Amino acid sequence: MNTVVAGITFRAMLGRRRIVLLILLPVFLIGMAFALRLLGDADQATAVSLLQAFSIGTMLPLLGLIAGTGVIAPEIDDGTIIHLLSKPISRPVIAQTKFLVAATMLVLFAAIPTYAAAWILIRGEAGIALGFALGATVAGFAYAAVFLLLGVVTKHAVAIGVVYALIWEGLIGTFVPGARKFSIQQWGQTIADQLTDVPFLKSDVAIGFAVPALVIVTVGAVVLAGMRLRSFSLTGDE
Amino acid sequence: MSEGVIHDIGYRHYDGARLGSAYGTRALFVFTLRGIFGLGRPARSKVMPFFLVTVMLLPAVVSIVVMTLMNETAMTYTSMPTIMQAVPAIFLASQAPTAVAPDLRYKVLPLYLSRPVGVTQYVLAKYAAMVLALFLLMAVPLVLMFVGELLVDMPDEPLRTQQFAAGLFTSLVLAVLLAGVGLLLASLTPRRGLGVASVIAVYMLCLAISGALVGTFESVGRTTATEWAWLINPFFLVDAVRVWLFGGEVASGGTYPPGPGPALIVIALIAFTLGALFLRYRKAAAR
Repeated sequence: MNTVVAGITFRAMLGRRRIVLLILLPVFLIGMAFALRLLGDADQATAVSLLQAFSIGTMLPLLGLIAGTGVIAPEIDDGTIIHLLSKPISRPVIAQTKFLVAATMLVLFAAIPTYAAAWILIRGEAGIALGFALGATVAGFAYAAVFLLLGVVTKHAVAIGVVYALIWEGLIGTFVPGARKFSIQQWGQTIADQLTDVPFLKSDVAIGFAVPALVIVTVGAVVLAGMRLRSFSLTGDE
Repeated sequence: MSEGVIHDIGYRHYDGARLGSAYGTRALFVFTLRGIFGLGRPARSKVMPFFLVTVMLLPAVVSIVVMTLMNETAMTYTSMPTIMQAVPAIFLASQAPTAVAPDLRYKVLPLYLSRPVGVTQYVLAKYAAMVLALFLLMAVPLVLMFVGELLVDMPDEPLRTQQFAAGLFTSLVLAVLLAGVGLLLASLTPRRGLGVASVIAVYMLCLAISGALVGTFESVGRTTATEWAWLINPFFLVDAVRVWLFGGEVASGGTYPPGPGPALIVIALIAFTLGALFLRYRKAAAR
């Protein structure tokens, strides 16, 4: 963890138009929660379905993509990464710092709004707010790590990440149940399921698989990103 | 003020045919269209578009196999674009920035505009290329399926010519609408990655808002509100236009507001995005 690199990355993330993308989704989530509350529909079932479909299903992968690739891909894209790489800072430390920034963004813009939305809907009932917030946090860490790695490996990180989030986790996950085992958002839902006691929340992945998978994917992706940065070469765009 | 004189220092003059602005626009159109599919670029630019084209063709192939083996129709032409909507959306998000971002990023717009190609022709060429690319992506599987249906010639099923035409209409309107939105969003940033992210974010936002609102309104029994909430998703908006003009089953599984409302929204959206695109490029060209 290098505080200077972290500070620069934070400023780059929050100081541009990208922040509009980061804010849009959580604002809508909280808006939906308020609307449901005012319509008088705020029960546990609506809360779970909103958090499952919108918070973990849409917001988290998208924000993970924007934050995870956003901390490093633009610098590689315009070549300014060379200034960072030429400093006497170990490359794995750069990768870890960038990961921590992305993870913090996801806690700020995904996990906390998830908790807030659940709290607006049903306060602290059945541990739903806490469960989903924690599920979003750990799944957010995994997304941040994976998309950071993608950003280091390829210039088409955003497009590939979208394909993973939409086609693998969305389209194929609905038709082929086996694909759900290898889906970060399903692992997050498993965590949420463990911490809540509502009968209608069913997760497809066992906790014994989800926790090791989350840990391995997160740590593995950050380590790989560090290793990839060590032998990084700048190439022209197309 | 000094007297400016351009000396003739003996270079050969160009006295061939001047091909004019139409030729330039057409060349830019073909170049953009090829670029969208990664043709004439390195192999890694071809991976994404052709992967998506393949994914788009899979249901058509499956459908032909089902028609051949089981003698029944597996999929309707009109529901294809909406069922596969993630694929055109990703295609738009990943390829619209490749059509507009490099010119903005490397500031080569003045070079184009110093030729007979003007801002209007430049925007129209880019727009037409994106429309055609999206239309091909959505219509080729439909054509393949229709050719399959003609060849299989199922004895019990009538030929679904009208439905096929409706499917092509949906694809065309979707292509015209999506291309404008995608190019507008992508042209706002010279960075490709951010362009991809913003186009896909807008699509996913529409998808999620529409889904969440439909679910909520349905559970509290607000039928009219539910009908309009479907239309937030552009694919269902165009599907509603198709249902109004051609009839047939509703691809979303719900109901749409009757009458020309959706069609007017589509026309207004297309006019808005094109207008905004021209304004954006007028500003970009001035710099």
